[in-house]
Amino acid sequence: MSEMTNTFGHQKTMNIGFGVLIVLLYVFLMAPLVMIVGASFTESLMIEFPPQGLSFRWYFEFFNRQDLVDGLLMSLRIGAVTAIVTMSVAMMAAMAGQVIAGRLSGWFQLGMTLPLLVPELLTAVGLLFFLYKIEMAKTVLGLQMGHILMSFPYAYVSIAAAMRQVPHSLEEASQSLGANGWQTFRLVILPLVMPGLAMGGIFAFINSFDLYTISLLLKPLGGNTLPLALFDFLTYEFKPTAAAAATLSILLSIAGVALVQRLVGLQRAF
Amino acid sequence: MSLKNPKLLLAIPAIALIFVFMILPITNMVEMSFRTPGTSAPFGDDYTAQHYDRILSDGHYWSVLIRSLLTAGLVTVLCLIVSYPIAWHMSKARGMKAVFLYACIASPLMTGVLVRNFGWMIAAALNGPLNQTLLGLGIIEMPLRLLFTQGLVILALVHVFVPFMVLPINNALRNISPTLIEASSSMGATRREVFRDIILPLSFPGIYPGMILVYVLAVAAYVTPALLGGAMVSYMPTLIIGELTGTFQWPFGSALAIVLSVSTILVVALFTALTSRLMERSKA
Repeated sequence: MSEMTNTFGHQKTMNIGFGVLIVLLYVFLMAPLVMIVGASFTESLMIEFPPQGLSFRWYFEFFNRQDLVDGLLMSLRIGAVTAIVTMSVAMMAAMAGQVIAGRLSGWFQLGMTLPLLVPELLTAVGLLFFLYKIEMAKTVLGLQMGHILMSFPYAYVSIAAAMRQVPHSLEEASQSLGANGWQTFRLVILPLVMPGLAMGGIFAFINSFDLYTISLLLKPLGGNTLPLALFDFLTYEFKPTAAAAATLSILLSIAGVALVQRLVGLQRAF
Repeated sequence: MSLKNPKLLLAIPAIALIFVFMILPITNMVEMSFRTPGTSAPFGDDYTAQHYDRILSDGHYWSVLIRSLLTAGLVTVLCLIVSYPIAWHMSKARGMKAVFLYACIASPLMTGVLVRNFGWMIAAALNGPLNQTLLGLGIIEMPLRLLFTQGLVILALVHVFVPFMVLPINNALRNISPTLIEASSSMGATRREVFRDIILPLSFPGIYPGMILVYVLAVAAYVTPALLGGAMVSYMPTLIIGELTGTFQWPFGSALAIVLSVSTILVVALFTALTSRLMERSKA
């Protein structure tokens, strides 16, 4: 009897210990984000956590800084183009992927996710030389192509997963009722894969918004994306304006997470 | 060649994108690494193997390479230690709790590396939260200089890559049938035995890709050492970018990148060979 209570007690301590460990690990995961958001509201001139007082002055300061605002606008523009292009190209690739069978299908999937699996540094270095060779170095178009390439796998994976959920019989039914290929796509397939397609666009946009290394090597003359402008700002000025800029970036990712949850559910997305 | 299905043509833009803007450029980089150094341009017209000679005969480059490979290894192991309990806890959750936990993993994942590294700069300040915690716990008596140290680079890298490890392990754990665990405990296996003989081998299909992905990405990580490492300690990626943007030595920078890639592939191959038995056990 006493032995039994003993093992129960042991079990309980272990469970409590595990619970504490889990809480600490989640604190570790969330701490940097919480500290940035906190530091952005400080009244003082120093980046510090916990913040001193409460003010929005560093947000005003951010929107008065031409270099940071230009960076933000450039990131938003490149991200939007990246999302639209990757969604279209990935949608087509996912439809082709469905008719590839057997061993080839695995290779196709691997090929489509290649930019995700090869380190960004290698792709960036290769692209730097290549763009120089085709006389597209230091242009916005060159940087844009780099972002499209790096974000494509995210769009592809989301859209391909959504395509796999569409029953083949629906397509056949639509065709046997006389719809042509385009009508079948627009009226049957597109509405069904819409959530996955939108999620692919969100992932591509956010990935593009966050890219650093490839932007550093391919940046156009006189143009900076927000992460590049933020890095320079952190190196030379280190004021809470940086925390305000970073908080805007965190808000964007939280909005992305919330949208993905609404569209397809986080559990299915990851 | 006749096409069985015209739908296959839809793959052309995607294949062209990846071929033209990735495979071709990386092949091009291999060629670049054999070019002679340029005097007025970033590279010369002739071919040579001198850059590889220079890298492999200079102890400085060896030590930076080994530091990069070892640091990435340490980051990978620490990531596994941090990620496994999280993945385990996540795989048990259902309903709204699961949504909340997924959001806690996805939010850092979808926040840029630079932003997350900046968070650690705030944490590591001289009287910042990290030092305050260590002082409060009585571990140190004086605040430590944490910024621009290798330790902070490792901590920040672990933070960057934990979600990449949690997600595949969580998926592997979710695929383990609960009846298998019930059966073995009812046949008298202790919790430790169940974990060692069933859960750990069956989660290996998640651990393996997670570790490979984290290692490959960690070896080539540039932002974190550039922002948090300071000028004292160099890693291969900071060295490579320095050669390309600072001194414009494109052939030499390419050779460095290729040495780093080949070493990474060798490490991954070695790891795969060493763990092939575990992988087979997980399939049995």
